[in-house]
Amino acid sequence: MRIDVQNLTHIYNEGQTDEVTALDDVSFTVGEGSITGIIGHTGSGKSTLIQHMNGLLKPSSGKIFADGTDITSKDVSMPEIRRKIGLVFQYPEYQLFEETVAKDIAFGPKNLGMSDAEIEKRVHTAMSLTDLDYEKFAVKSPFELSGGQKRRVAIAGVLAMEPEVLILDEPAAGLDPASHRSMMELVRRLNTEHNTTIVLVSHNMDDVAEYCTDVIVMDDGKIFLSGTPREVFRHSSELESKGLGLPFGQCLIREMNRQGADISGDSVLSGEDAAEAVLRWLEEKKC
Amino acid sequence: MLRDITLGQYYPRESVIHRLDPRVKIAATFLYLIMIFVVRDFTGYAFVTCVLAAVTAVSHVPVKFMARGMKPVMFIIVFTFVINIFVYKGTVLVSLGPLNITDNGLRQAVFIAVRLILLIFGTSLLTYTTKPMQLTDGFESIMRPLTKVGLPAHEIAMMMSIALRFIPVLLEETDKIMKAQQARGADFESGNLMKRAKSLIPLFIPLFVNAFRMAIELAMAMEARCYHGGNGRTRLNPMKLQKIDYIAIVLIMLFAAAVIVQASGITGLPMLWPSR
Repeated sequence: MRIDVQNLTHIYNEGQTDEVTALDDVSFTVGEGSITGIIGHTGSGKSTLIQHMNGLLKPSSGKIFADGTDITSKDVSMPEIRRKIGLVFQYPEYQLFEETVAKDIAFGPKNLGMSDAEIEKRVHTAMSLTDLDYEKFAVKSPFELSGGQKRRVAIAGVLAMEPEVLILDEPAAGLDPASHRSMMELVRRLNTEHNTTIVLVSHNMDDVAEYCTDVIVMDDGKIFLSGTPREVFRHSSELESKGLGLPFGQCLIREMNRQGADISGDSVLSGEDAAEAVLRWLEEKKC
Repeated sequence: MLRDITLGQYYPRESVIHRLDPRVKIAATFLYLIMIFVVRDFTGYAFVTCVLAAVTAVSHVPVKFMARGMKPVMFIIVFTFVINIFVYKGTVLVSLGPLNITDNGLRQAVFIAVRLILLIFGTSLLTYTTKPMQLTDGFESIMRPLTKVGLPAHEIAMMMSIALRFIPVLLEETDKIMKAQQARGADFESGNLMKRAKSLIPLFIPLFVNAFRMAIELAMAMEARCYHGGNGRTRLNPMKLQKIDYIAIVLIMLFAAAVIVQASGITGLPMLWPSR
């Protein structure tokens, strides 16, 4: 599914003394099958933006089209939009409430009015996607799981609705390195194997560089930069001036150049890229 | 919707009211509460309203902001109004089937509604103009004499300050969980009463779980900073009454005296629509 955001503006407490413009004339497109990363420092409008994308917030002005359907209009079917566009909030483990893991995952499909057999099937699929062993976890209380497991249950709860677009707000925040990696691999698998379009909000520039096909940089409610990761991270000094980091490879090359090297590494993202650039530079120096 | 709840929040401004000693403000609010119950007729309420309006004006808290805070309690006011209007006997004004609106009922309904509005406006002014920390320091200081009879003044004050501090946190949390469940197709707005009550389960369970988690974390953070109750604790800013505090005390005394004199009827002035 393709999402077109057009001139989106959102003002909190409009007309009051404490009004805040959280989004200011934002336009962009999330291409079908893409993994679009949204980065920006705290308070740049990322959360407000993603809440508009499945209709939880209504814009002050502007429109959002999901495959041509205007989801900001009043007569659009909200359950239909929520089924197609899944949203996983930051720290979703704090939203679990049911007695068992299986029941919690079934909450979404149940709200959509699906048959018991269909729900059962979807719970199985969602649990296997998130590496939760059905036999072991289905009847457990979600409150006795570890933090990482809880998060996977919460994400399975959204996956069970089988959305065409999945929006994730910092899905790997606060996880240990191994869980972090498996979370990001899950995102990639959903994208490649299930053709789910992904919108990923992240503060981790390495994740964005490695997994995203497109990047949008938000600053003060506006789009500051957008393009492929290579295009965006080329603007390293602008990004740093906005309080954002850079991917590891880019940092490394910049630091080496600061120490006196002259490696051309504008499009370097990962550590491997950096290694290649350094090798190339060494080769050149030899001759 | 939940952003609208402003009741119990602090509204930072530079004003005389904000600068007053919290103990004076607490005592004044307490006296004000008593006076509202002393008032017997609408002239009295008009006087109280004028005083409240003057204090509000001096405090620089926008009336619009305060009115927003009234929204959540509007239901209670309307509810009591409707109940009151029907239960009193007297001369029937309007008859609606088995229900009669009498002159006494109407009077009582309006009277109680005004009383509630004045109560909430007046007490909320205290929280709008006093930082939670000052408020609890004030309470603690006022209650301190009672520690001799075993009242845990410091603990009560600490509990109050924590409760106040967590109001906005819990509101934000509610908003977040609500949205998360809506993203999973939960519907909080439609259906009959039973269905709506049931739809709140996915909201309240995580809210309680999170509230307990936050409480445990806060308790640990406090212990980590060597919190051990009020014994031997000194203050960064010890409270001391200033000139404006003494002026405020005199003014509030005058206010109370005026209300009592008016309500006792010894002035001989006619009462406006008093209860019999």
